Amino acid sequence: MIELNLQFLSFMAAAVLVVIGLGGMLFLDNLIKKIIAFTLLSDGVNLALVTLGYVEGGIVSILEPGTSGAAFPTNAVLIFGPGIVLTNIVIGVSTTAVLVAVTMVLYQRYGTLKASKVLKGERK
Amino acid sequence: MGSIDSLYDKVKRFVIEFTSGKGTSSAMTGYMTGELQTVAFIMILASFFRIFSVPLGIVLLAAVVGALFFFGPMIKAMERENSSGLNRVLFWVMIYFAVIIAVTLWG
Amino acid sequence: MNESISNLWSIPLFIIIPILAAILLNVLYSRKRAISVTAVVSSLALIVVSVLSPFGFHWFTGQPAVLPTGGYTYRADLLGWNLALEYYYGPLQQIAIFLASVLLLFVVLIAINSLKKNTGTYISLLFLTFMSAAIVIMVNDFYHLWIGVEIGSLIVAGVVLATGEAVSQKAALKYTFFSALSGAGLAIALALILGVTGYANISDAIIAMPLNDASLASVLYVAFGFTVLSWIYAGGLAPIHPLKADVYGSAFPHATILLQTQSKLMLVAIGLVILRLFGTLPFAKEVMLSVSVLTMMIGVVMAMLQTDFRWTLAYLIVSHSGLVTLGISLGTVQGIIGGLFQAVNDVVYMSVLLLACEGIYYFGRGTSIKTVSGIAKRAPWLAVAAIIGAFAASGVPPFNGFQSEIILIQASLNYGMPELAIVVLMVSVTTFIALFKGIYNIFLRPDDAPQAGEKQGMPVPRMLYVCLAALIFITILFGVYPQLAINFLNEAALKVVYIPWVP
Repeated sequence: MIELNLQFLSFMAAAVLVVIGLGGMLFLDNLIKKIIAFTLLSDGVNLALVTLGYVEGGIVSILEPGTSGAAFPTNAVLIFGPGIVLTNIVIGVSTTAVLVAVTMVLYQRYGTLKASKVLKGERK
Repeated sequence: MGSIDSLYDKVKRFVIEFTSGKGTSSAMTGYMTGELQTVAFIMILASFFRIFSVPLGIVLLAAVVGALFFFGPMIKAMERENSSGLNRVLFWVMIYFAVIIAVTLWG
Repeated sequence: MNESISNLWSIPLFIIIPILAAILLNVLYSRKRAISVTAVVSSLALIVVSVLSPFGFHWFTGQPAVLPTGGYTYRADLLGWNLALEYYYGPLQQIAIFLASVLLLFVVLIAINSLKKNTGTYISLLFLTFMSAAIVIMVNDFYHLWIGVEIGSLIVAGVVLATGEAVSQKAALKYTFFSALSGAGLAIALALILGVTGYANISDAIIAMPLNDASLASVLYVAFGFTVLSWIYAGGLAPIHPLKADVYGSAFPHATILLQTQSKLMLVAIGLVILRLFGTLPFAKEVMLSVSVLTMMIGVVMAMLQTDFRWTLAYLIVSHSGLVTLGISLGTVQGIIGGLFQAVNDVVYMSVLLLACEGIYYFGRGTSIKTVSGIAKRAPWLAVAAIIGAFAASGVPPFNGFQSEIILIQASLNYGMPELAIVVLMVSVTTFIALFKGIYNIFLRPDDAPQAGEKQGMPVPRMLYVCLAALIFITILFGVYPQLAINFLNEAALKVVYIPWVP
């Protein structure tokens, strides 16, 4: 029996976000909606990353003068998760910016946002 | 219900679908060589399975044979499956990821 | 152990020079003379630094603890983890960065000569492409690896967009969508490995890897799967190859030189990381081998079906990425040397072919084998260069492709997989057929529409011939004296196989 604690629920929420994001990227036809689906996906990943570092009843991961050196490593929350999330947010924003910019250019060219019309292959 | 006729029709359709353009053009040469190459490759792929576990090999081999019969002229199917449609690639990536996880977990 | 323990002076320069050059070029925007001086001086500086630099480390934080014996260890168990964000510059990095900076110089020279407007912005993107490649090949921690891959993929979209054609805009959009996906995957893999081991440094993580702990096996497999996903994405292996081929085919041919260099270096770097981290997991190597073989075959078959020389080259680049990863996935010393050498050679001979393609682009107004013909009469030297490139790519003896392919074939025979040797042979023969289909039609077939003057394209920049000559010289040099390159790669291969804790 899996215990219904905060960490487990948070992982489930992240999984739901990722699945919604993937489904949206795969099945929605509007380019803007695809981009929104991608941001959902990236939020899900961020949530999963934060949850990974969660420690039940943990302390802030800053070594203060009063903290005992032995208890710190086991009680402190894992610092890497939030660190990666910070970078992932920046990367997500820049990726979204590129996606939106290209979508704008393609909209000006074709006059529609439908991926099935805009991205139709015409290579040769 | 002439079964010979329908088989002939099938073969004819097979050949006509496979042919695109003049038989002597360089595009056609590419198609012919590609078809040969793909078939040879699938034969070599079959011999790969001695390094994987045998039951998994049998499953995958059955899938490959099924795909071979389903897709008819391999090279046409390959060109279709290799088009760079966003959703198609996304779909293949998900399948691929599932296969990678399945193979490693099975092994 | 002989490397100096203090931070190396040269490693930051590989990052700082391209960034400063990019900022400056962006500001200069379209001042032609200032742009060419800045760009050429910066890329020359990069070449000089890569040649002069000694081998060593650069740490951003968390230096290793020095032992009483004078050596040093990364296992400073002070707080339970050790945040050593680390770059390493060794022989492999030296030859890779040297080649990349030489190619950067050539590409910059050609771009200055051929582009008319917005040159500054475009060339700054080229510098950033080089920077992401340099980051990924030097890095020894997950964090910078991830950042390098992400920056690299966004820059690729920018470089492709520069052509301004509809095809390239679509290619850039699709590629960026997948950069989002694989970036998220790599972040999760990174977090899982950090959670399991507690180390950001790859060498530390390898020591702390609980490979025998059965309860963590599924976590490791998921981490392995996500890392392979980002490897597939960064290098354009199957099944992402249609998108990567779109990217290669729709960028300017000279920009494709840098793009393929970047993706080959990423393939090598991430492949070695996967091998070092997960190489002992059961079926990890087999999965990597399957990906390589599929990429090789699908790439080369698709190359044969193309009717545009640019797209033939694009699919061949994808297919030859499979050769590189084949060698790395074998995991033996010989295999890794073969894979690394193949990466070096591949970058050089594909550059020859791509430059020839650029020449055709100018002469023939397009690169389709259906409409362009009879170029050999107008540009005999271009034809000679393309044929030499084709020979090198298909592994004909006096050129460099032969040397690495023979190592790969021997390695797969020694590994006990003769099927792989057959596949490598099939790929090199088919490469020959696919390339000569294009070369025959474009160069040797008589001109079917000889209206002189009407079909005459732009004049070819003279710089292109100079670059072609230099690259052909390298091709023949490595073909005749393979030891020149192999000596650099030997150490990296030995370290990966025998000393698991050193990059």
